[in-house]
Amino acid sequence: MGEFMNTSTLSLALVSLFAALIAVLGLIPKIDLPLGVPITLQTLGVMLAGCMLGPKRALQALLLFLAAVALGLPLLSGGRGGLGVFFSPASGYLIGWPVGAFVTGWMMTLLPNRSPRSSAISAFLASAMGGLLVVHVFGVVGLVNIANLSWEQAIMGTLVFVPGDLIKCALCATVVHTVARGLPDWRFGG
Amino acid sequence: MGSLYSEHRTWLHAVPAALKLVCLALLGMGLFVTQQWPILLCLAVVCVGLFASLGKATARAKPLVMGVLVAGVLVAGFHVVMHQPQLAAVTVLRLLSATLMGIALTLTTRYTDLLQVFEQVLSPLRWLGVQSDRLALQLALMLRFTEHFFVVWRRLDDAHRLRTGKAGGFKILAPLTIQMLVTARRVADALHLRLRR
Repeated sequence: MGEFMNTSTLSLALVSLFAALIAVLGLIPKIDLPLGVPITLQTLGVMLAGCMLGPKRALQALLLFLAAVALGLPLLSGGRGGLGVFFSPASGYLIGWPVGAFVTGWMMTLLPNRSPRSSAISAFLASAMGGLLVVHVFGVVGLVNIANLSWEQAIMGTLVFVPGDLIKCALCATVVHTVARGLPDWRFGG
Repeated sequence: MGSLYSEHRTWLHAVPAALKLVCLALLGMGLFVTQQWPILLCLAVVCVGLFASLGKATARAKPLVMGVLVAGVLVAGFHVVMHQPQLAAVTVLRLLSATLMGIALTLTTRYTDLLQVFEQVLSPLRWLGVQSDRLALQLALMLRFTEHFFVVWRRLDDAHRLRTGKAGGFKILAPLTIQMLVTARRVADALHLRLRR
């Protein structure tokens, strides 16, 4: 019973604190790539949540974060928040975050995590699938439905952000590698 | 961490949070039922008028409104370039109406009132294992540690600057994550002792 309680409170703490980490990543100034494409770190938070927490906790952390945004807290990069952001053309990406984190976490449970190196490679692949592909699919659906773009136009529009997101996948893999060495008992993917 | 709620009282502050949420949900659905731009224009005029009636309370939301306007101009410009002016009008009017009403709700509804509605809405999910009463605790923890981790980030950045003369950037992300995971274990132990009562 004690073990169960401890697992339950660990989940509660991890979900809350990871949601806090994603909020902090929104406070860090964005970095502009050449061609004016901005990199904000919050999508990196989505990838990290999946890799570190596993599918269920990552999903909960992102839902908690989005609930806080919906409640009016200015936690998105640039100090945005409130229900209005869920009606913007980029709302598809926001709705895709919890699903992307879940898929990243699920992929991490399937891929090998025996050494820091294999964990990092797995993290890159899982992030590319969940944090990049899934989030962009949701983003494209949002652009088609809210901005009334055609599928081709929406896909072309989202492709601009793919190089930046690939850099984030690599960053996520680096962080996972460091965490695997710094906290050897940490179980990636939950 | 301050909410976007405005302390400047308006008539919309007196409307219950649940009613405002229901109206927003209905408006959101209604906007997608029609493709007729004259109907959407009428709705947009009502929404802009309602938003403007909040007066000084809207001052806090200026950056958000600017963001909506910029997004609207970009989307409209794109459709006009593609020779679809009617589609541009429909899209921008929907975007403007829904977003302004979302911002109006955020400005005039306390975070705690919205949280109460969220908990009530989620309470039927209890049989699926969703503990809606823990939402408040999780949000409180999240907000407490958002400030904490930001301070930790700044400290790590300062230390990196002292060592190398350069900003930490992405290099301090891994130590920040490790600190977060270690803190989560400590918080879990503290919560375990407290919730066990």
